[in-house]
Amino acid sequence: MIESISNLWSIPLLVIIPMLTAIIVNFLYDKAIKPIAISSAIIILIISIISPYGYHWFCGHPALNPETLTFTFNPNIFGYKLSLEFIFGPLQHIMIFISSLILLFCVILSTIGLTKHQGPYIALLFLLFMSSAIVIMVNDLYHLWIAVEIGSLIVVGIAAASGTSISHKAALKYGLFSAISGAGLAVSLALVLGLTGFSNISDAIMYLKQFGIGEMSTVLYIAFGFFVLSWMYAGGLAPIHPLKSEVYGASYPHGTALLQAQSKLMLVAIGIIMLRLFGMLPFVKEVMIFLSVITMMIGVIMALIQIDFRWIIAYLIISHSGFVTLGIGLGTQEGLIGGIFQAVNDIIYMTILLLCCEALFYFGGKTSTKEAYDIAKKSPFIATATILGAIAASGIPPFNGFQSEIILIQACLKEGLPEIAVLILMVSVTTFIALLRGIYRIFLKPPELQDQDNSNVDLPKVLIIGIIIFIILSIIIGIYPDIVLRFIIPVVKEVLSI
Amino acid sequence: MTSTETFYEKLKKWLDNFITGSGYTNITTGYITGELQFLVFIIILSVFFRLFSVPLAIILLIFITAFALYFAPVIKDVEKENMNDLNRVLYWMVIYFAIIIAITLWGG
Amino acid sequence: MTEVTIQLLGFIAAAILIVVGMGGMLFLDNLIKKIIAFTLLSDGVNLLLVALAYREGGIVPILLPGMSIYDFTSRAILIFPAGIVLTNIVIGVSTTAILVALVIMLYRRYGTLKASVILKGERR
Repeated sequence: MIESISNLWSIPLLVIIPMLTAIIVNFLYDKAIKPIAISSAIIILIISIISPYGYHWFCGHPALNPETLTFTFNPNIFGYKLSLEFIFGPLQHIMIFISSLILLFCVILSTIGLTKHQGPYIALLFLLFMSSAIVIMVNDLYHLWIAVEIGSLIVVGIAAASGTSISHKAALKYGLFSAISGAGLAVSLALVLGLTGFSNISDAIMYLKQFGIGEMSTVLYIAFGFFVLSWMYAGGLAPIHPLKSEVYGASYPHGTALLQAQSKLMLVAIGIIMLRLFGMLPFVKEVMIFLSVITMMIGVIMALIQIDFRWIIAYLIISHSGFVTLGIGLGTQEGLIGGIFQAVNDIIYMTILLLCCEALFYFGGKTSTKEAYDIAKKSPFIATATILGAIAASGIPPFNGFQSEIILIQACLKEGLPEIAVLILMVSVTTFIALLRGIYRIFLKPPELQDQDNSNVDLPKVLIIGIIIFIILSIIIGIYPDIVLRFIIPVVKEVLSI
Repeated sequence: MTSTETFYEKLKKWLDNFITGSGYTNITTGYITGELQFLVFIIILSVFFRLFSVPLAIILLIFITAFALYFAPVIKDVEKENMNDLNRVLYWMVIYFAIIIAITLWGG
Repeated sequence: MTEVTIQLLGFIAAAILIVVGMGGMLFLDNLIKKIIAFTLLSDGVNLLLVALAYREGGIVPILLPGMSIYDFTSRAILIFPAGIVLTNIVIGVSTTAILVALVIMLYRRYGTLKASVILKGERR
């Protein structure tokens, strides 16, 4: 990582531009919203591509070398930085790039699709991006907690925005739950702060490693428990999955694309922080693996028995979050690489499926498999894209899902856990079955009654371009996984070296 | 009455349990696939106990398989437990939280 | 025997508030009562943080003119929890506002505030 003492210019921009855009867009009328929102989404995308690597510090100083009494960035030298810290490194680069790409398409689609309350909704989308950008860049407990709290409030807002009574109920349930676990994360933060006295996570870890905590380790276990609670609700892991999947299913599909990207980013960021802070405690990794296995299983089984295509995808997103957390929970180099790579791939192929789901809205707005629609005849492109998305999601080469799942399976085998490798395979296969049920009913099965409505539906060009871009990304990453892996591997090595 | 018939009748009864509404639906196929998947999943999970002791894993495997087949179809119960009822989710969350804290405290 | 200090009393009060708040959120059926329980929970967390930063004879962590650095560092309280408490109050207010807004919307539709009626599970 390139280090510089001066703060990096791009980090505040990635936080402030979405915030400012949200404030401005919230007050504007229809015609002015579109250019401002789209142009700032493009600016964010450009910043995320061209930004160099570096830090942003709110206070504190580089570590002081005790021998020479000079400031140093060398992580091997023992010294506290005492800072609230944001980092923009390779991991942040790839993650923020992907989510800002999704943000761009979401914003354009919502300017086309929404007629009412466009401004506040787009403001919420920008704030959602902001919270996910903060959570992946952060290296102190304070901003982590703020990002998780803001993120969950925005999720509530986006779920409620689609305006049906189901979405209001989903939003209220998720809101009540986020109130509990947000307070839990604050308690956890207070406990770690009380034990170590440092809010910077690297400093706290260094303190724990250097001095140990002896009898006070009980406090650290309770902090871990509350941390897991917030991890579960941010990512929708096992006991929270009915609420989280309800949020996914009740929002607009393009909103869900951004929501799932945010929750994957949260899972990766909080998971890595948990591994670094609590990794040396016994049973921590086992708890993380247990949670992920249950999530994988329950998610995919619940996806099988759904009758609405949106809910099938919603439960599959939950199920595939289990892959990500499994990789992080394994805690080995392969596991971490597989988990983070899976998060990137998951965001991409689920976005393909969700954009196809958005396209179904233009064919009458029904996504239930109870009625057959024969949409393949009306739009062969959407049918093909959905099937390609399903293939990518079930980990079939040459798509990207395959590459990360194979790394995860190898990591499990190396750890001596062949059962989990079998489970991963089964979940992939079942994903295909669950998706194919929906695809067959909606796209391929001829309608029982003769369809009167044969008029051509004009899909927005942006939607088609978006689907094509994400399919191309999926294939490119599937054939050349090194494009993404070269961002992930150095980060993983750094995490494990601490 | 031959044994084949009774077995057939048993199987038919078992399958009838899944059917909601007018027999032929894609919901039924989903339920049956889900039931089989769940069975396989819990069998694999019971194998997991080999990490603690192999005999325990074998006993658990037999018991779990027998129970799952006896109480079939379990998928309806699984669905009910995974309902989006707020109180149910909170109940499960409390149980999870208690287990996680207990395991980590016990391990430490 | 642990000495009973203001800090310890603060921790005990915070624990009671957190437990009462959690219990209220889990077991009360009325949605408004659930939200009130959340505010108790949030106050409990605030009190925990404030008690954490307490220091016998501590001073506000602002370096005033004429104060020696040694005096300041030996007496100033931990600055960080104060910042968190301030943020937690803001977040608590906004969470409460959003929850109450949603409850109002659902009350208009269902005519009741019972969580067991409004938020009960349903087959999709």
